Amino acid sequence: MKRMINSAALGLAAALTLTACGGASAGGGTGGGSGTDGGTADKLVVWNWGAADDAAAAFQEDVIATFNEQNPDVEVEVVSQPFDQYYTLLGSAIEAGTGPDVALFNGGTQLKSRAGSLVPVTDELADITGDLAGWPAFQADGETYSAPMFLQGFPIYYNKAIFEAAGLDPEAPPTTWEELGAACDTITSSTDVSCFALGNKEGLGIEFFLSGFGSGIFTAEEYDAWIDGERDWTSEHARQVLTMWSESSADGWYNEGANSTAMFNDSFDIFSGAKAAMVIGLSSGIAHWKQFDEFLGDDLGFMMPVTTNEGTTLALPIEGGIGYGVLNEDKKDLAVDWIKATVERDAQADYALAGGQIVSNTTVELDTDIASAQAIITELPGSKPLLHTSLSGDTLDLLHRLGQQLLVGEVTVDEAAAQLQASEG
Amino acid sequence: MTALLGSRSDVPTDVRPGTTPVPRRRRRRFTVESTAPLLLVFPAIAILLVFRVYPLILGVNFSFTGDQELNGVFIGLDNYVTLMNDVRFHAAARNVIVVLLFVPIEVFVAGILATFIFLKVPGHRFYRSVYFLPVVLSPIIIGAIFNIVLAANGPLNELNRAVGLPIVDWLGQSNSALPSVLGVHIWATFGMALVIFLAGFSTVDQELLDAARIDGATLPQTIWYVVIPELSQTIQFVFVTTTIGMLTGLFGLLYTMTAGGPGAASYLPEFLIWKLNGEAKPALASAASVVLLLLILVIGLLQIRVLRRATKEV
Repeated sequence: MKRMINSAALGLAAALTLTACGGASAGGGTGGGSGTDGGTADKLVVWNWGAADDAAAAFQEDVIATFNEQNPDVEVEVVSQPFDQYYTLLGSAIEAGTGPDVALFNGGTQLKSRAGSLVPVTDELADITGDLAGWPAFQADGETYSAPMFLQGFPIYYNKAIFEAAGLDPEAPPTTWEELGAACDTITSSTDVSCFALGNKEGLGIEFFLSGFGSGIFTAEEYDAWIDGERDWTSEHARQVLTMWSESSADGWYNEGANSTAMFNDSFDIFSGAKAAMVIGLSSGIAHWKQFDEFLGDDLGFMMPVTTNEGTTLALPIEGGIGYGVLNEDKKDLAVDWIKATVERDAQADYALAGGQIVSNTTVELDTDIASAQAIITELPGSKPLLHTSLSGDTLDLLHRLGQQLLVGEVTVDEAAAQLQASEG
Repeated sequence: MTALLGSRSDVPTDVRPGTTPVPRRRRRRFTVESTAPLLLVFPAIAILLVFRVYPLILGVNFSFTGDQELNGVFIGLDNYVTLMNDVRFHAAARNVIVVLLFVPIEVFVAGILATFIFLKVPGHRFYRSVYFLPVVLSPIIIGAIFNIVLAANGPLNELNRAVGLPIVDWLGQSNSALPSVLGVHIWATFGMALVIFLAGFSTVDQELLDAARIDGATLPQTIWYVVIPELSQTIQFVFVTTTIGMLTGLFGLLYTMTAGGPGAASYLPEFLIWKLNGEAKPALASAASVVLLLLILVIGLLQIRVLRRATKEV
């Protein structure tokens, strides 16, 4: 045993000695990159997190084809990285000078916090500004860093058949918080399904709740200030969000065991399987109008957030979801061509239908008779960015954990608000 | 000088009286006999140094540097200070104690079932395979199965409902989430400890058992005074491997069953390390890894010491 202690001590001593030599810089190249400081001109290295399905793969092929029409001699090398490690790998690669020429980013915090590494393309994209919606998520300090490909939002979907069975008017969903509460009471008492489907195992439920209902709780000024980073979690309306979240659970709105139910896709399966009347879903990618339509058909309804406080302006919470940012200044022209190819009208129109996307290109007419999709598009002009994507990673993680604890009453609203405020720094 | 010569003369030599003393030659340092063993163990040691010790040192080194904009910058103990103020780290440290409380349960379950198999209860061959079966299943699969079993509307709660017990959201409540995961972990891994126990039983000296019987020892006396001391090495080994298994092998189950929640109720150091790395804080994650390493080292050494006394090993 002595020998074990001795060798452990020796190892630590050696480690401490080495520490004096300075910090280790993170990882080397993670492959694929042609380097931000050089590389061949006839190749464009693109990083993304892969195609989720056939429709996404087809869209990627369309984009490459469009790009190659303009740049026939340029080879596109697409490197797919796993999403859960994506930003760590990208950060390491940029640090080591082996980053790609262009990389896919989530709009909002993920892109804005990395604006320092990106090449601004404000002037280059000026000619397509009018055609696309969702720009703010890709702009920082007056510069534009990417063009939004798709719009991601948190619309509220409901099941008309369950509304009807509960004796509610399926064509007139609730418009105020009181009406919503009354509707939930009716649904839970007169049917055996829950009012809302909720999966909170990862703690995501509260961010859907915050962004989903936010415009009916915060005044327009508070909302804009929140997005701009002026947040006060101890303010009346921020605390109200936490209270509403906690009380909605106490009032039995959600399916049993929400904290142990995965959001993707167990909670959405609860809604698709008609075991819950409503759900806060997504507009693109997954858990969206097209996916729900396959199960519910004409029974699928879309409703706007409800008015909780007077003086608020209801808005569909939606913003630019993902877009490519330019990392290699030397290949800026090629990169801009790539970005423009990703928002090209025909490719987007095909993908919107095949993959179930609300695309950023407003000249695309979504050729579907799914009513909820058309209703979402109708609300786009007055839409607002999502409240939770402007939070820092640390605050968001804390919000996830507090959301779970609030749901089972293990923390009070005041304690949660104080902790969140402290994490804002 | 004379002292030196005098001491030299004390060195026994193979000089016998009546023979001519041969001048002593210096022993050659590098003979085949002396270097061959070194050469033979060199590959193993080199692999250990290059793939184990060197990365470990790099990891410790890395934990003294910053993340993101401070990437590669020496920041001293800042990461460790950050950890000490992180509620998730506090929860993970607290939960290590809960985990340790479950170690004796697993050892006891494995020990008692191994005893039954050793005593050849009817169907012992069948039980031996059944007990070992979960060991070969992936934690992810086990996690997925028990997600369903323990769900709020799952079979276990249906059983509760049928016998009039209250419904419990096993994985969604702070006080039941970690114990549930640990219970599943014990179910999934005790088979390995059981096999080690069975191997240990085969080394128990039959003569001692016979002697105890002749002396009129009762069964509990036989177990306490003969079997446990004889198995002390095995019990120690099972305790230490079970502890290490619990501290480092729960990630798969945690990831699939609770994801650390609710709140930070089921965080363990290993899960925290992964989480921090995902938050683009690899250096902070390295600091957490170093703490986990030290923790396991200390717990392992303490356990061996305590168990040596408890099992009366001389």
